[in-house]
Amino acid sequence: MNYSDLASRLSQIGERLAKQANRLEGEILGRSAGKLASHLDRFEEQLESHLASRKSREVFLENLLRSPTSKKHLTIALLKKASREVSAKRLKSEDLAAAKREFIKLMHGAGKQDLAVEFLKEAFATSVRVESGGKDKALLQREFIRLGQLLDEEFAKEISSRSIAELRRVATVNGIRFTDKTDRQRLTTLVRRYAQRAAFNLPAARVPSSRT
Amino acid sequence: MSSKVLAFINFKGGVGKTATVVNIGATLVALHERKVLIVDLDPQSNASLWLMRPDRWREHVARGRRSTFQIFDDALQGKNRFDFDETLVRGVVTWTGFTDLPRLHLLPAAVELLRIEDRIHELRASAIYQILDSTLGTQFKQYDYILLDCPPNLYSTTKTAIFSADNCVVPYVPDYLSLSGFQVLAEQIIEMREKFAPYLPGRRKPNIGALIVSHYRQSGNVFRLAVNELELSMAALRETGVLPDSAILLQPCIRHCVRVAESTSEHLPVILYAPGSIGAQDYADLTQRFVDLFEGKK
Repeated sequence: MNYSDLASRLSQIGERLAKQANRLEGEILGRSAGKLASHLDRFEEQLESHLASRKSREVFLENLLRSPTSKKHLTIALLKKASREVSAKRLKSEDLAAAKREFIKLMHGAGKQDLAVEFLKEAFATSVRVESGGKDKALLQREFIRLGQLLDEEFAKEISSRSIAELRRVATVNGIRFTDKTDRQRLTTLVRRYAQRAAFNLPAARVPSSRT
Repeated sequence: MSSKVLAFINFKGGVGKTATVVNIGATLVALHERKVLIVDLDPQSNASLWLMRPDRWREHVARGRRSTFQIFDDALQGKNRFDFDETLVRGVVTWTGFTDLPRLHLLPAAVELLRIEDRIHELRASAIYQILDSTLGTQFKQYDYILLDCPPNLYSTTKTAIFSADNCVVPYVPDYLSLSGFQVLAEQIIEMREKFAPYLPGRRKPNIGALIVSHYRQSGNVFRLAVNELELSMAALRETGVLPDSAILLQPCIRHCVRVAESTSEHLPVILYAPGSIGAQDYADLTQRFVDLFEGKK
């Protein structure tokens, strides 16, 4: 059932009730009507509150603070900053859950839900826009392919002139996992193996002769 | 904001097309206040069954009548029986029995779509391409995003989706078989652009706009290396003109998450079913990048 279906059902019941109202009687029906009326009171109250808060975007602000994005990117420092910048007021709570409640109350009181939503959305978006691997990424990826296309002796010669720091940069950018304890020989083997594989798998790339 | 029509395509199955469509669609509505239409074009009806309980779906699409099948059947029969408002499913029914995400709309698919491919060649190629666009084009205008969930092939139904789309999004799993298929896919899109060109005067021709990696696992080297190989391939395909310079790999990769798998049985997008899960977090971050890309923000 959706809300439109519920609306039609209530209308139909209302119409029927209005037509038959003068003929209805008895304790069982009366008790049931009493229960319905009290449920309707509660529903009406919630509906009004929902519609009012929707208009003021309070619901959206609450949802945003409960969202997966918030769980990952919202810190108490960010929330405090939001409060200062949007309403020029300081949050007192030091616990994130309490701070969220205080923030909602504060924004609602100041009528600044809209600004709060915009501030948080922009802050979350900025957190998501992570660096894509640094400015050298494309260069180091091209280098990786080139290393993979070298013959064994060419590769050995090329690598002997590289520092371990350079090798680590090539490995990191190209998805090779290693630890601080990984020595030069092991790192060279890893770079060689995966660079050859990348070159081999690349569309229309020159296949190194040592792999043919 | 003008409507953005995006076809989610990959002729490899199991790459997360439907998961991407459903979860990006729901996140666009829930966190970005966008109005979204999902058009299910896959006879397997996975997007429909993800967002609708099977009994409701069966009743709704009985004999293919209130489904995307009707659009294609009308084109074949020369009739006009497809009724957009009757076919549309508005919002997602939650455990309360009432709908949530009222701005997420779905045009469900039906298994009858399987029959279309056998008969569709009775029509001229140009007529095939334009089926979706001519039936739904005016309706698309009321939405911010239209996400076309295509079957795992490049047959006629998918071609009509690509024809209607401003951009294609390619869901991808990080392994070599996907990588080899991706090159073929990119070449096929180029070919289609040529074929579509005479029928798209003054309109942007569809191209690959983004790739999205699903089923990612962080343990070991395996997936990092596979994603790196994808990036290397994309660079190589850009250099040869097979892939446009603007095509990007959208981050973050969607990590494997059981809560996402589980959400299919609950018939809810993960943002409603398990908003605290890593799946919901990844889709939330990915959707932000998606908005940035397709709304030209960054």
